[in-house]
Amino acid sequence: MSRISRWFDPGPLPAQSESRGRDSGLTILGCLGLAALLWLIQAQGGGYVVHMTTLAGLFAVLAVSYNLINGVTGQFSLEPNAFVACGAYVTALLTLSPAEKEMTFILEPLIWPFAVISLSLPVALVIAGLVTTLMAFVMGFPVFRVRGDYLAIVTLGFGEVIRVIANNAQSVTNGPLGLKGIPHLTNIWWAWGLAAVTLFVVMRLVNSSYGRALKAIREDEVAAEAMGINAFWHKMLAFTVSAFFEGVAGGLLGHLITTISPSLFTFFLTFNLLIIIVVGGLGSTTGAVLAAVLFTFGGEWLRVVEEPLDLFGLDIPGIPGMRMVVFSLILMACMIFARQGILGKHEFSWRWLIALARRRGGRA
Amino acid sequence: MTHPGLLRVEGLVCRFGGLVAVDGLSLVLGQGQLMGLIGPNGAGKTTVFNLLAGAVRPTAGRIFYRDHDITGHKAHRINRLGLARTFQNIRLFGELSALDNVLVGFHGRLEANFLSAILRLPGYVAAERRMLDRAAELLDLVGLGGLQDERAGNLAYGQQRLLEIARALATRPCLLLLDEPAAGMNPQETAQLAVLVRRLRDELGLTILLIEHDMHFVMNLCETLVVLDHGKVIARGDPARVRRDPGVVEAYLGAEVDLDAREAPGA
Repeated sequence: MSRISRWFDPGPLPAQSESRGRDSGLTILGCLGLAALLWLIQAQGGGYVVHMTTLAGLFAVLAVSYNLINGVTGQFSLEPNAFVACGAYVTALLTLSPAEKEMTFILEPLIWPFAVISLSLPVALVIAGLVTTLMAFVMGFPVFRVRGDYLAIVTLGFGEVIRVIANNAQSVTNGPLGLKGIPHLTNIWWAWGLAAVTLFVVMRLVNSSYGRALKAIREDEVAAEAMGINAFWHKMLAFTVSAFFEGVAGGLLGHLITTISPSLFTFFLTFNLLIIIVVGGLGSTTGAVLAAVLFTFGGEWLRVVEEPLDLFGLDIPGIPGMRMVVFSLILMACMIFARQGILGKHEFSWRWLIALARRRGGRA
Repeated sequence: MTHPGLLRVEGLVCRFGGLVAVDGLSLVLGQGQLMGLIGPNGAGKTTVFNLLAGAVRPTAGRIFYRDHDITGHKAHRINRLGLARTFQNIRLFGELSALDNVLVGFHGRLEANFLSAILRLPGYVAAERRMLDRAAELLDLVGLGGLQDERAGNLAYGQQRLLEIARALATRPCLLLLDEPAAGMNPQETAQLAVLVRRLRDELGLTILLIEHDMHFVMNLCETLVVLDHGKVIARGDPARVRRDPGVVEAYLGAEVDLDAREAPGA
């Protein structure tokens, strides 16, 4: 156990049954507090801060759902960019007005069902989520025939396939030109509302008998099978649930940045999400949210190091790209001193916080 | 009603490349029997378990459980028919608590679907409460009552073996396969285990097939023994008969050992 995790170890926790009522109350209070904070940001913060907060919400959704398959179920897969792309394209194609689409698709006209319809955002998002789920379902059959490193490679391949399709299916995705003029409909409430729903569903799933089965598969698949658990269908469950939320978040992402093109959904997106869930602690849902927020804002805070700096009379000129160097150093430090990530496999809980406060308070 | 041939194995063969791990094994296990499967290291005992539990597909032969042909079925399907096992090299879910390990055993028979689990519908909540009660009972039964919140990986070796048994019992088996349950236990723990295994048979009515190297444990506990060497059955019957069998002595002690000849130089 590292020094950092010892610092946060409050010792044995009281039984969950003793504090359930208090904890639910605190959770509701916490949600209200966060809602108030979001409202404050919306009202007082500039457009840029609002944009970043919205983006952080979407990344929280992506990280939590990606963590379900990678961290909780332990199936190291690298495909979320495919799901996000699918969700973003489907939603955009459903919400853009026919006139707008005709203007965008200059090389080849858009194929039939998409060319004439224009739906409202909520309906489009649900459809996008379901289409992505279906894609994950079909993809799951070949993909879950392999495990471990092979699974990572196969899913990585699928992610690339989707990007290549987006690049070449001119009459559906408009190819490398992408879709533009997507209405800016995603606001802070959409993003964090979806984050709340995702958290609710994923936490409930993880803390149920199904969640135990998923963790059992992560710990030892052979033993899980011997205990009567159909590993294939449980992996599929985690995979499709995670795909649904990634698809919906992709749709909202498209309506936040208003222009999408295949270059947006490269492996880099997956890679960033992977960093988030590893730093947050593989298998920890609350850790994923925390890391998503830190990651989104961290990149902006680090811009400081790229500006000209006056350090103890030493003039340091601004170096573009310095941000990424510092970022890498932080990641390395994170992996050396907190190898399990911020929360390890643990979850944030009020029990833990209160026990920790008592211990620290008692010592002071 | 007792079943005379709860488990019937006919001409089971398992080949790994050139190695014949199990070579034409046949056996019949009646309901309520307590049978021991013994043999020197590498005799193919664990492979037999892997074949019965569906972890490995047999090259030839048939396995019948309650007269159903289960040859080549998937492990989770065989488990749900009522055949549970433990592992020689303990395979607990190390990061989960002892209680969660047992609860996982109940999952295969959970009737609530995942939507009712997410929405915490009454059916799921009732099922979860039942599982919690039963899991606590099972932990008490194997003597791990106070350790339910302990991480399984942190338990002592002997306790991990007991937790594996509790987890297997959670799947509500009729036939229990125990793979070296006493390995790594001290004499006192072994004695307690023998009491537990006998209780499982007498009070829960389980049929038990166990692999064990501790001869004292096996000879006192099992009513029937099957001795395996190089994948073949070399002897079977009650412990007293097996103990006297020259073939068994030879398999365990190597080639014909002439005890007199060995004593000669010292004389």
